[in-house]
Amino acid sequence: MVSRRTPVLAAAALLALAALTLAAVAWGSVHIPVRALAAAVAGHGDPTTVAIVRTLRLPRVTLALLVGAALGMSGGALQATLRNALAEPYLLGVSGGAAVGAVLATVAGLRGPFMLPLAAFGGAVVAIVAALLVSRAAGGRADPRVLLMAGVIIGAFANAAIMLVLAGAPADTVRGAVWWMMGSVAGADWRGVAAMGAYLAVGGALLLVWAREIDILALGVEPAAALGVDVERSARRVYLVSALLAAATVAAAGLVGFVGLIVPHLVRGAGVRRHRALLGGAAVAGAALVVGADLIARVARPPMDLPLGAVTAVLGVPFFLVQLRRLR
Amino acid sequence: MFPFLRRPLLRPLTCAALALALALACGATACREPRSDTPSDARATHVPRDDWGNPVLAGTTRVPARIVSLNPASTEILFALGAGSRLVGRTHWDVWPPQAVAVPDLGPGLRPNVEAVLAAHPDLVVLYASEDNRAAAARLSAAGIHVIALRFDRISGFDSATTLLGRAVGLSDAARVITDSVRRTLAHVRASTDSLSRRTVFWHVWDAPLITIGAGSFLDDLVRIAGGRNVYGDLQPASPVVSLEDVARRDPDVILAGPEGAARIRSDPAWRAVRAVQRDDVLVVDTTLVGRPSVRLGEAAVSLARLLHPGWSP
Repeated sequence: MVSRRTPVLAAAALLALAALTLAAVAWGSVHIPVRALAAAVAGHGDPTTVAIVRTLRLPRVTLALLVGAALGMSGGALQATLRNALAEPYLLGVSGGAAVGAVLATVAGLRGPFMLPLAAFGGAVVAIVAALLVSRAAGGRADPRVLLMAGVIIGAFANAAIMLVLAGAPADTVRGAVWWMMGSVAGADWRGVAAMGAYLAVGGALLLVWAREIDILALGVEPAAALGVDVERSARRVYLVSALLAAATVAAAGLVGFVGLIVPHLVRGAGVRRHRALLGGAAVAGAALVVGADLIARVARPPMDLPLGAVTAVLGVPFFLVQLRRLR
Repeated sequence: MFPFLRRPLLRPLTCAALALALALACGATACREPRSDTPSDARATHVPRDDWGNPVLAGTTRVPARIVSLNPASTEILFALGAGSRLVGRTHWDVWPPQAVAVPDLGPGLRPNVEAVLAAHPDLVVLYASEDNRAAAARLSAAGIHVIALRFDRISGFDSATTLLGRAVGLSDAARVITDSVRRTLAHVRASTDSLSRRTVFWHVWDAPLITIGAGSFLDDLVRIAGGRNVYGDLQPASPVVSLEDVARRDPDVILAGPEGAARIRSDPAWRAVRAVQRDDVLVVDTTLVGRPSVRLGEAAVSLARLLHPGWSP
């Protein structure tokens, strides 16, 4: 059901996202007046400013946009399919598996811009597959609770593995690993943006195509089956695509917490129920949250960048609490 | 009512945040711990003290025969003093001079394995004066072992550390020779680069997060002695985290990095934002030489001055 104020809200959200994006490109260690911004983007003006805008800020802000959108959509789809308000992209062992991959790569000295994301993505995929296999072996046919538990258990196992590996690692490696787990888009380059963009384009499109099925899945197993949906198959492919989207964000930016959990609730709170609109709204709101959080991470305490995942959580929690009050 | 309270607690993000909070809390409380007591008679006779304020006993009457050194810098200094043959334990990271590798590896130097240290039957243990080591030091002292805690953060700390270690192992003359030689070399490098133009330096320690050196690091001293200026000399911490964007803004003349770091800087497109990288002014530092404030400080200053001022010779 789309309420009458939805178009107004959608327009407002898009406008806010555009304004935030503009601000994120203009603000930082060097503040660029908005009128000089177009020139800097085009490559004119002070060479240092141009280099900062073109090789650092543009890829960084773009990556923040894509990561936020992907996390929002992934969370929205998972919450509906698992029929659990607590479901989020990192739940199905994604964060744990990716972290194990990243930590192993860091300890092995593979810290390049290429190997670490690959290792994180590999770890996430292994964890997702393991969670699906565990839930299947447990006979949890269409029961989302079994899949949730399998994800949580795999995540706990991954954490234990990380602790064991880091216990004997040198201080710099531990610091690097902890920072990675707090998320960051500081290392963004166009190659990473292109990879993330491709995942979001394919994964996001699939979720939007399946939006009708997700609407029905959200009703529950029996009503969905009664409406002629192959619940198990539909649910499984939505999990898989959502988890892969989350894995791609983890590979691109580490663990950016809370976005996938709260953004769908915010959109639902605005009165959006149908999943085609909800997923679109979650993409816009997620992008705005991550772009805004990264802007704060950059300007709050220069010359240092604050950990992005911590900023998204700090920003997101108040919204979430307001939402909870309304639900009561 | 509040289902979010039932969320799994053990996710990496939570763990990372908890670890950080815990580390901060421990650091904060440890800082407020009272310093060790200072016996008035010891103060009266000007007994030298280590970096925790504990008196360092002279090794002239009862020369320590079995020494465990739990810091790479103190291990180097003990070998230079000529006490290397008395070492019965070192940390996993003490691999210079090459003879050090033959000394039994007792594991980490922070939060050391007290059992392993005791099993080496030392009569002197030298460790890094970090709050992480307080508990271990207390246990070793309780076992009747002479413990010396030293901070190797600044160049000025090297002089006093070497003098103290020389006193403790009964080799004060050798200590004087070493500190004099290092001091002379440093003074010479400082004087001969003083008239040269000062190049601004960004020192790359680690990427992801990007870590550099601040005023609290001995490397900041070393850069100044070698005739350079650290662009992050205004930050107090020894190893501050900074953003690449800010590095580009501070526009250093040269980037100093270890061999691996330099290779990554040259290949990573994001680093193209820094003009020194565009000009390929990325200089490779011998990290095994300049990595610690120890007996090779003079050598390190010379190698750094050569890097920063092509054509300069000592």
